Order: sequence, then C-alpha cells, then structure tokens
Amino acid sequence: MFETINIAKGVNVHVNETTQFKTINFSIKFKDKLTKEKASARSILANVLQHSNEVYPSHTALRMVLDDLYGTSLYIDSSKRGNEHIVTLNVETVNDQYLSEKGVLEKVLNLMYIVLFKPNFEHGLFKEAIFKREKNAIIQRIESVFDEKTRYAQQRMMELALPNHPASITSNGTIEDVENVTNEQLVAEYKEMLTENEIEIYAVGDVKPEMIASHIREFFHFKDREKAIAAPPLELVKPEQSRVLEYEDMKQGKLHMAFFTPITFRDEKFPVMQLMNGVFGGYAHSKLFVNIREKESMAYYVSSSFASQFGLMFVLAGIDSKLEEKAVALILEQLEEVKKGNISDIELEQTKALLTNQLKEALDSARGQIDIYDQYMELTDSFEPEFMINRWKHVTKDDIAAVAQELSLEMTYFLSGKEDEKDA
Amino acid sequence: MHKVEFEQLEETLFHEKLDNGLDVYILPKKGFSKTFATFTTKYGSIDNHFVPQGGMEPIKVPDGIAHFLEHKMFEKEEGDVFQEFSKQGASANAFTSFTRTAYLFSATGEIDKNVKTLLDFVQSPYFTEKTVEKEKGIIAQEITMYDDQPDWRLYFGIIENLYKNHPVKIDIAGTVESIQDITAEHLYTCYNTFYHPSNMLLFVVGNVDPDQMMKLVKEDQAQKTFEAPTEIKRIYPEEPKEVAIKERVLEMSVQKPKVFYGIKPEKLDLIGPDMLKHELAAQLAYELLFGRTSDFYHHAYENDWIDESYSFDYSLEHGFGYALIGSDTHKPEVLIKEIKHTLQNAIEKWPFGQEDLDRVRRKKIGFFLRALNSPEYIANQFTHYAFNEMNLFDVVPVLESLEVVDLQNAFALVSHESQQSIFTIMPTAKEAE
Repeated sequence: MFETINIAKGVNVHVNETTQFKTINFSIKFKDKLTKEKASARSILANVLQHSNEVYPSHTALRMVLDDLYGTSLYIDSSKRGNEHIVTLNVETVNDQYLSEKGVLEKVLNLMYIVLFKPNFEHGLFKEAIFKREKNAIIQRIESVFDEKTRYAQQRMMELALPNHPASITSNGTIEDVENVTNEQLVAEYKEMLTENEIEIYAVGDVKPEMIASHIREFFHFKDREKAIAAPPLELVKPEQSRVLEYEDMKQGKLHMAFFTPITFRDEKFPVMQLMNGVFGGYAHSKLFVNIREKESMAYYVSSSFASQFGLMFVLAGIDSKLEEKAVALILEQLEEVKKGNISDIELEQTKALLTNQLKEALDSARGQIDIYDQYMELTDSFEPEFMINRWKHVTKDDIAAVAQELSLEMTYFLSGKEDEKDA
Repeated sequence: MHKVEFEQLEETLFHEKLDNGLDVYILPKKGFSKTFATFTTKYGSIDNHFVPQGGMEPIKVPDGIAHFLEHKMFEKEEGDVFQEFSKQGASANAFTSFTRTAYLFSATGEIDKNVKTLLDFVQSPYFTEKTVEKEKGIIAQEITMYDDQPDWRLYFGIIENLYKNHPVKIDIAGTVESIQDITAEHLYTCYNTFYHPSNMLLFVVGNVDPDQMMKLVKEDQAQKTFEAPTEIKRIYPEEPKEVAIKERVLEMSVQKPKVFYGIKPEKLDLIGPDMLKHELAAQLAYELLFGRTSDFYHHAYENDWIDESYSFDYSLEHGFGYALIGSDTHKPEVLIKEIKHTLQNAIEKWPFGQEDLDRVRRKKIGFFLRALNSPEYIANQFTHYAFNEMNLFDVVPVLESLEVVDLQNAFALVSHESQQSIFTIMPTAKEAE
C-alpha cells in the first residue's frame, strides 16, 4: 500500500501513489510521550500554528490563501495512542487534473512548510494575543465535553478509574495545565517537536513517492533524531472504587462499565479479543444489542468497545435511570454466556465478516489508509488487510470464551438524571 | 439504460426508470473495494397529513410515525434483518429526515446478495401490534437521548421559532407521548401510501458492474407485483412569511450559553434548477458574510464571542429552509447584536465584488470535489437533489455560472428583519446552597 522512504533518522515519508481519489492527502505526525503537561502545551501549539504565521500573519490571511487553493483544507489536531501524544498536520487538496488551473500541489507543499517553520513570532515568542486566544480556545474545548453527556460520563469514569494514567489523560490535557503554560514553554515545546519528535509523513493520491520525498528533504530540513524509547508496558492499577453514582440535570441515565483484560494490541491474542468484543457488543447482531435492546426494549444504544492500546473493554448504554441494576445484571448475564462459550456458528461468522468488511471499508478513504497503516506499523512494515483477516480466520469459540474469562469488571459508573435518589 | 458522462469529474452515471416507476442509479467507482447502496423513499417527518392510498379523505397521523416505520422495517416474522446483513458481511443502517427515509448498507463482498436483501426487506412490510408495542420502549430511549443533547435541542428550538404551521417544526422522532398512539394499522397505511416504487430511488455506488447490477435490480422488481402507481396527495398548511417566534430561551445542563441565529427564506416554493441556483448563491453569500475569512468571523473569534463550536449553514428543501449561525458563547447578547448588525449592513449596502465571489467559488468547488471521494456523500446528496428535481452533478457548472448579482438577489430573500429569530440555551441556574 505505502512505499516508505527514510529521509533522516526518525523521519519517514510514506506514499501511496493511487488514482482512487480526486484529492491528495497529506499527514505529518509528530510523536512524543503522553503526559498531562505535554498534551496541554501541544494542543495550544497545534492551534497557534494553524491560526496564522509569518507569511500570512492573520487567521483571515491564511484562510484566504487556502480558499484560493480550491478550498484546500488544513488543520492541526492533537490526539493520543497508548502512551504517545501525536500532533498531526492534515492537508487535503484537489488533484489539479480536475481543475483548469495547474501548479496547485507545489503551492500547497510550500504552504505546509510555512505553517510548520515560519511561525507568527514577535521577539522570539509567539504573538501574545494569539497565544492567549488559543489557550482560551483549548480551555473552552475541554469544558465543552460536559455538554455531551455520553462523552462526559466516559471521561468521568476514566478519571476515577485510572487517574494520571495515559488511558484517562485526554489529548487536550487539563484546564489547569493549559492555564499554566507560558509563552516561553510553548516555544520550547515547538522547537522540541520539530527537532526531537519522531515524524511520520504520509501522502495519498496521484503523486510520485520520490517527488514527495525529495521535496520534503530539500525544503523541510528535518534532522536526525533519536528514536523515542520503546513504550513500556502500561500497568493498569485497580481502581479505588468499583461503583460510582453521579447526578446531572438530564432525562436519560448513562451507564458506563470498565473491564480490564491482559490482552493488548501487541498480544498474539489481540484478534481473539477483537472477535470477543464483536460477539458480545460490537454490532447489531451482538448479544448486547439483541438482548438488551431488541428483547428487553430497554435501550436505544448499548454496545461494547475494546481499547486495545490499554487492555480495556467498555460497555455503554443509555437507559431509564430507575433501571441501572437490572441493566447491569442483564449485561453481565450476556458476558457469562460468552465466557461459557455459548456462541453460535452464525454469531462467530457474522463477527468475522463484519470485522473484515470494516477494515476493508476503512481503506477506501485516504485518512483511513493513513490511520490504519500508522497504527499497524508497529506490528508489520507492509500492512495489507489480509494481515488481520488471516488471523481472525482461525479463531474458535473456545478461544473467545477463554479471553472472556480473563476479563474483570473494575468499575461501574452511572450518571443519573434522577434527582430524588440524591436525598435518599 | 441511460449513460451520462461527467468528463471533467471522470464519473459516469447510469440510470433507468423501471416499469414500476422505481428510479435506479448506478455509479461505478474505480479502485474502491466497497459498495454503498441506499434505497430511499420520498417520505419523511413532514408528510403527516395526506390522502392514504386507496382512500378519498385526507388523514393526520401521529408525530414521529415515519421514523417509527423505519425502525419497524427491520423486523420480520423470521427475525431481524440486521442478522442477514451481518451474515453477508454488510453494515446496514437507516435514517429518517424531514423529507426522506433511507435504508442503506455498505459491504466489500456479496454485493448481489446484499442488494437483494435491501430490496426485499424494504418491500415486504411486517407489522404486528406486539412488535409495534415492543419498539415503543426503544424509541422512547432514543427520544430521551436526543432530549439531553443541547445541540439537538438548539437546532429544533430555532426551527420551532422560524415555522408557525409547517410540520418541519415537529421533532422527527415525535415525542414519548405521541409515539404511544402509533398502531400497526397506521404503519401499513403510511407504508402503502409512500413506499410504492414510483416514490422511491435506489442508488448503488462503488465496486460494481453497471450492466450486471441493473439487470439484477430489473429482474428482482419484475418478479414482484405492485399496484399501479397513483399520485400522492400531501397536504401542507399555509406558512406565513414572518417567523413564528422572535426569541426564546431554554435552560439546560450546559457549561456556557449556546446561540442559534436563524433566518427563514422568503421564497419556499422553489424547485429544480431555480432552487439549485438560489441555494448555491445564498450559500456563497453567507460564506462571504459569516465564513472563516469574513470580517464578522475575524472579530467574533479574536474577541472571544465565538469558539471552535461556531458554525453557519444555509439549506433549503421544497417548502422550508433556514440559514443558521451559531456558537457556544460567553457573550450571547454581544454575539446576537453582531450577527444582526452584519445582516443589516449587508442589506443596506452589499459589500462584495468579483474577487470575493471568485475566492469563495473556488473554495466551494474544492469542497465538492473532495466530497466526491465519499460514496456515502454521493448517494445521499444525489437522492436529496433528485427528490427536488435537481442534479448533483450540475453543482460545479452552476457555481461557475454565478455572478455577483445572483448572490445579492439570493441574499435579499434570506435576510429580512421579520425573517430573523434567535434561540438560546442557558446553563441551568444553580440554586443557592
């Protein structure tokens, strides 16, 4: 799928030359260790860099040049994977063969260089007004999680279950840490990002790998850097409380459950755990959907998900606040079925078919190709869907039951809308 | 089978209207492994007053019924249709909007079987009082979930402000109370009226051979019997030009206020090429006034009146439409005043010229070309356009033909003071300890 060209120690260019898309997609990923402080500073940095720069010194000026380049989209986001924090410059531009105007690609590459290397400095610091405004934007982003109660409940549970653990640190950091970042620290973080972070550069579209690599080599001047020390295994610490009940002024109750599993992305049983999650609650044919939703009519959404980087499995359901206990009992009953190996041939085949479909489908978008390749790079340097499909093929019901038996329920968190229970 | 080539876009679209009235469109996509299919009826939440098939007198049906019907299509005597799609490696889904109900799947294999399953399940209704009753609990939880989402409440709040009589103001899923009145008989009445092939469109996009796919659909439809198509009589109330409510506030569990500023278009009867031209021209006008390169955005963002949640949009259907501008904000009054001011200034003196138009036009063409990478976008948007007698692939030529005066004229229809309304969500006032 991708052709990889190393351009400096710790800096790689990966290109998928294809005519599948009408656009050309770029991603430049800067990878660093995940801490609250790093996440906070790097989120501000991402915003400051996409706000403006030396050449286009206002937000309006930068957005106007993007409009002129046929609405080229350019944004910088901050995300996490395992104990890595990733700042990504994402750019998508129209392949100019569909346009009457040519030379768009050159201009876009040049703009990417400007965004990264020509910051909007004043006396060696980021312009103060922009620095303050974007700090504020990140604080507002963190605060807004409260408005989406499903996201909020999940975040609350993680903070309570695994405080200060990469699983609960969000990619935007915390309000307190964002407030504490100084302009000097941000400049230091910026320099470190360019010179010390591991960098993966992706391009997908009708472009030549050598052309992209030589352009990056010639203009971006990325120097050698040491590869960050391999990620240590992430220990999961048993939460202090196993059941937490909180209240907000709302109508539906939000049930969130967290399970530990010793199996992570790097484990040879990773594909088994993916299938286990699928059979249990990953799809519309799964045990949770069929039983809790369709048979009991208790929920509109009820599902499980596997956070493979950390060895966590979650169950989420939106239910009537009075029905928490009943829902938990029914969910655990279904898990018991999986543990006993009460899985039909059809359930197993459906889950294999949908995992396969999902993976192949994801590869039909340029972003999907980049994300999947970047994630699986750790396991294989030439990822193709068959890499996973062949591993799923051989999984049996007994394998699934065995990994289900290793799951332990560590926290049940319920965000209830029912006020009258509060005083009880 | 008709074949239409869009040379500059390198796309070829195949179309045939079958004997039973079904419109079938196929768009092969080179290099894609997946196929995406939508089977859509021109029937949504606004179609709640109509003459039922075979009847004489118009009837009114309970709020939320189109969406309820969508849910119930998946359950059959022999079980759940999701099970069948899963077996064939397909992810299936459905959605109900104001004007459409769409059933869809995406798959990377067994496409013929999956297309058959899609056609079969949508064309074989099975409703009993028992299965209808059972669904009420699930949909009640769905409605409750949306009730807790401030962004959804904000959206419906502003639409209720803008429309006095038109059923667009009714929540698509209805209310927990209204769905209690729904019976299996209602569902059959709605199904028989709106799910005739002549009121439906099948769109298949992706890794398919058009001749073979068309043959499969034709044979499938030829085997099934349908009544002769009749014209559907839908009844919509008279809608005044002015907004229903100028301003309203709702309290919810949110961390800071949220504002939507809505503008109701004056001309709601547009259809076909006129509609496409007006919609695109008005969108460009709003882009110039409220887009990320506008003076308004610059001031509002740098002064912290808006944050990253800021959005603006103009969308139009036959019979209703709205321009919306909104954001989470610490300063709702200032933001509202600034939006009002921006509109007023543009009404008094149109501030944009050729260069401005050229820039936002380029942006819009780029957005459109990017969107054509997505089979989902193509199928859904094509259907939306077709039901309003427009062609999705005319977007670029129409954009290229627009002149400054077109933007000005379009804006004049979506700006007047009496057409404006405001909906705000405020954080729940905390009682003193």
